[in-house]
Amino acid sequence: MRSPSKTCIFFYNPQFSDFDPIDYAELIRYAMTFPNVSRIWKYHDFIWNEQNLTDKIEANGIDHLIVAGLLPGTVKTLFSKAMAIAGKDPANVILASFNDYYTGTTFDMDRLKSVLACLIAGLSYETVAIPDENPVNPATLVIGGGIAGIQASLEIAYSNNHVYLVEKTGTIGGKMATFDKTFPTLDCAACILTPKMVEVNQNPFINLMTYCEVQEVSGEAGNYSVRILMRARKVNVKTCIGCGTCTEKCPAQAPSEFDYGTSMRKAIYMPFPQAVPNKYMIDAESCIYLKTGKCRACVKVCPVPDCINLDEQDHEVTINVGNIIVATGFKPFDAKKMDQFGYGRLPNVLTSLEFERLLNASGPTGGNIHLRSQDKKGNWIFTEEAEKPEKVAIIHCVGSRDKNHNKYCSRVCCMYSLKFSHLILEKLPGAEIHEYFIDMRSFGKGYEEFYERILEEDVSIVRGKTAKVEERNGKLFLRGEDILKGEILENTVDMVILSIGLEAAEETRDLSRMLGIPRSEDGFFEEVHYNLDPTATSRGGIYLAGTCQGPKDIPDSVAQGSAAAARAIQSILKGKIYKDLISIPLETIEKRINKLTLVQLEEKHL
Amino acid sequence: MSVRVHPELRNQLMQFGIGDWNACYHCGTCTAMCPLSEEGFLFPRKKIRLMQMGLKNEIESSVEPWLCYYCGDCTSTCPRDANPGELMMSLRRYLTSIYDWTGLSKKFYTSEVWEIGSILLIAVLVVIAFLIGLPAMGYSFTTELTSQGGVKINSFAPIHIIEAFDWAMAIVVGGLLISNILRMYYKIIWKHGHTKVTFWVHVREFWRLVFNFSVQPKFGKCDDKRYWFSHWFLMSGYTIMFIVVVVFLPWFQTEKILPPWHLQRALGYYATFGLLFGLLVAITGRMRRKDVKFYFSHVSDWLFLVMLTLTVITGILIHIFRIYGMPYATYIFYIIHMAVLVPMILIEVPFSKWSHLAYRPFAVYFQHLKTHAVPRKTKINSIN
Ligand SMILES: Cc1cc2nc3c(=O)[nH]c(=O)nc-3n(C[C@H](O)[C@H](O)[C@H](O)COP(=O)(O)OP(=O)(O)OC[C@H]3O[C@@H](n4cnc5c(N)ncnc54)[C@H](O)[C@@H]3O)c2cc1C
Ligand code: SF4
Ligand code: SF4
Ligand code: SF4
Ligand code: SF4
Repeated sequence: MRSPSKTCIFFYNPQFSDFDPIDYAELIRYAMTFPNVSRIWKYHDFIWNEQNLTDKIEANGIDHLIVAGLLPGTVKTLFSKAMAIAGKDPANVILASFNDYYTGTTFDMDRLKSVLACLIAGLSYETVAIPDENPVNPATLVIGGGIAGIQASLEIAYSNNHVYLVEKTGTIGGKMATFDKTFPTLDCAACILTPKMVEVNQNPFINLMTYCEVQEVSGEAGNYSVRILMRARKVNVKTCIGCGTCTEKCPAQAPSEFDYGTSMRKAIYMPFPQAVPNKYMIDAESCIYLKTGKCRACVKVCPVPDCINLDEQDHEVTINVGNIIVATGFKPFDAKKMDQFGYGRLPNVLTSLEFERLLNASGPTGGNIHLRSQDKKGNWIFTEEAEKPEKVAIIHCVGSRDKNHNKYCSRVCCMYSLKFSHLILEKLPGAEIHEYFIDMRSFGKGYEEFYERILEEDVSIVRGKTAKVEERNGKLFLRGEDILKGEILENTVDMVILSIGLEAAEETRDLSRMLGIPRSEDGFFEEVHYNLDPTATSRGGIYLAGTCQGPKDIPDSVAQGSAAAARAIQSILKGKIYKDLISIPLETIEKRINKLTLVQLEEKHL
Repeated sequence: MSVRVHPELRNQLMQFGIGDWNACYHCGTCTAMCPLSEEGFLFPRKKIRLMQMGLKNEIESSVEPWLCYYCGDCTSTCPRDANPGELMMSLRRYLTSIYDWTGLSKKFYTSEVWEIGSILLIAVLVVIAFLIGLPAMGYSFTTELTSQGGVKINSFAPIHIIEAFDWAMAIVVGGLLISNILRMYYKIIWKHGHTKVTFWVHVREFWRLVFNFSVQPKFGKCDDKRYWFSHWFLMSGYTIMFIVVVVFLPWFQTEKILPPWHLQRALGYYATFGLLFGLLVAITGRMRRKDVKFYFSHVSDWLFLVMLTLTVITGILIHIFRIYGMPYATYIFYIIHMAVLVPMILIEVPFSKWSHLAYRPFAVYFQHLKTHAVPRKTKINSIN
């Protein structure tokens, strides 16, 4: 590319209310220092229309111009046309799109200056700003053992490279393991997930570390040193034969995490029957021995000597890896925040995740749909003794698309709600189902077809969000507006399912500090480029997979898991890895520009 | 009937209030949350739709904005921060300007210069009338006190002149208001194409007007009963004051100091307390902005509150100074009192905030007329 002799810059800063955190004055000062910048205009200097722009171009003899700002693409056609009318080459309208360099909270002014400097020199930022490279440790750390983390781990292991898979809970599988069927194919979730989970456990290249958490990360791309807290399971994973004798005898109870608190488990337990590793563990919080010093019932009955060690303590290990894949998943929206729906007060208002457990054959009711009832100790749980609902309502967009909570659409709730309608009809033929939605978002392959299929079934799908749920005569009374009919809609049902949205997991904040990767406004981890680089982060060697990057469904989580693995494998194959993008200082960029333009000049003279 | 779309409607409405009404995605939460919305007269969502589509005629023939008492339940639950409650408030301001044929209402609502300018102008005229007009007509006041030691107020403000002026003002204001209500009737009932309301229904439903005016049952339906009370107290105080001052002025503005339990003083005290209490709630609410209904204050809201407070305070001061025999102070505050009161009544009652006192009960009346409307006979019908 030829270094343009005379360049003009148009700063596109129409001041979208308070959404313009860029210091344009500073940028203008910087741009003035370049001898080949002849004129600079701001948005408010004159009215940007075809006529005025053409005049400016003609009057100043501009044949090369830069439009810089947030979303400058919006005005590109205007400039191209003006250039064409003035008889200049419209291809010489160069965009400096600052929104690509937003770091999550602020704009890094040095980055913006670097971008400008490159474009003024007639070079693209990407060709100049190539980070330095480091050698790579071939081992990879995957944080989070949901479907995304599992997929990433397997892909890397299949390339015969070592993986540490660190999972916070006692089993891998994540949310998907709790589901019965998945949309839109209505595949049995366990049937497709369990083989992968087992494979993770058996693959010699995968070091599965459950009940563990990352404590500290240091180093840089290619060689990260990671301190991991290994919580005491108090049951030896190697020797436990999973016979379950201990659980039978254990007197202590606590709500089951895996069933989202809808059933009770013992203090020594296996999260669910297909858990991987398929071994028992002890929850120190509820274990009577650990609280009072008396009991040891499990130890007494365990057939394997020294398998249970109630005095085992947490410990830490440090590992060294070259790449890190973050796959920490999502946290469901806390439905208690929307008191109008009565979740937490009205026992038969359920969250969608709780309902998934009701549908699941390995769940507390064996896959039958029953109302929630109280056990002898007063815990509200699901049992098969309780009655079955006749009328069920499903409310969409709970906590999503709501400025009081999360502004964004959670992407999967419309589809899983439709899935619920279908599965309820399958399990409770003749049940009356009402779905209340605002917009039906059935994007994606086979999704609209799935929606059409449900529409044919005996489900009432009504446009209009329910405004509130109240208890009336032991039933649940709903009030909303049927938008299409323009009438107030009132209904009395037995069970209400809240289609709660997806939020960034709790640890996202701590992890983002620990790993030095930014988060976007909505709390999820931020990718380098939304369109073109959705798995990389601004730190070299750290990638994102699954719902920790933003709401998405299983197919997309899996795809991103594979993509992140590809990035790790790429660096391992090459033996080298780029350092952080943000680590290139402005001076280095300026030096490189000088060098590159000199090379170009020499080429020209040859 | 063809439908005319007015895309500029939204921008026009923005001058009457604040809200991002285009943000509404029609989930219906607001309507279902609203304690006053009822079948056949659903709001606020439907009104937002009309606004978004620019259906000016439909908006102008709506009674719904007057049925909303701005409890704010809709705004606080709206998932899009579209602020439906403020839209209803803005629609009330807009409708006031539409009913008003003089065009002044629109000017007052959309231009602060106009509103404050006219208030100042009238205030200055009032001061001139007292300082130059009355003396020029040959009236001179006295600083002598009555036998009870009170101020001879009628020597300063001759009762027959003030009364005549009061009546004149009442007739002008009443005339404007009545003509505006007729226009409101025309827009809501008459112009509405295909239906007609029989005379009998007009008579039968009339009680609603009286009932809604005096009790304000709709306001009581809002969840927070405190506001019903303070608003009702304020409204009843205001109405009593208005009637007493306009219709019974000679009985009210006396030089004789009556015992405090006398009806004249008792009514005065009741009205004063009602006004003060209501004002206190409204002013502290608007300052603290804790309740949704007080989030946004239009200039007209503040102006009105300030003027009414000034009127009440000066009224109290006149009363005190008169009883304790302080003629100059009495006279000065009498002028200030009138300089605030007259523009307030002339501008607020027919053209601005206070007109809702009349429009609201009429809207309920019209609402019931609408429910009992029968299809108008068309030619085809009569042939059959
Ligand atoms: C009710 C409901 C129904 C759904 N139904 C479907 C469906 O039918 N079809 C479909 O395609 N999608 C469905 N989805 C979406 C689906 O759940 C997600 O796409 C998928 O689970 C995302 O997987 P993930 O691995 O990103 O996250 P997760 O499943 O959340 O897994 C994250 C894992 O990371 C672990 N973890 C978290 N933090 C840490 C940490 N700091 N350290 C170590 N480990 C950590 C967690 O314990 C968990 O095991 C549904 C979602 C919901 C809420
Ligand atoms: S009794 Fe012992 S071997 Fe059997 S499941 Fe419990 S811990 Fe494992
Ligand atoms: S996916 Fe559907 S239910 Fe979920 S937030 Fe989006 S629109 Fe609402
Ligand atoms: S609650 Fe808000 S978004 Fe929903 S219909 Fe009302 S104004 Fe629109
Ligand atoms: S402010 Fe209250 S009365 Fe008015 S529309 Fe909203 S909810 Fe209804």
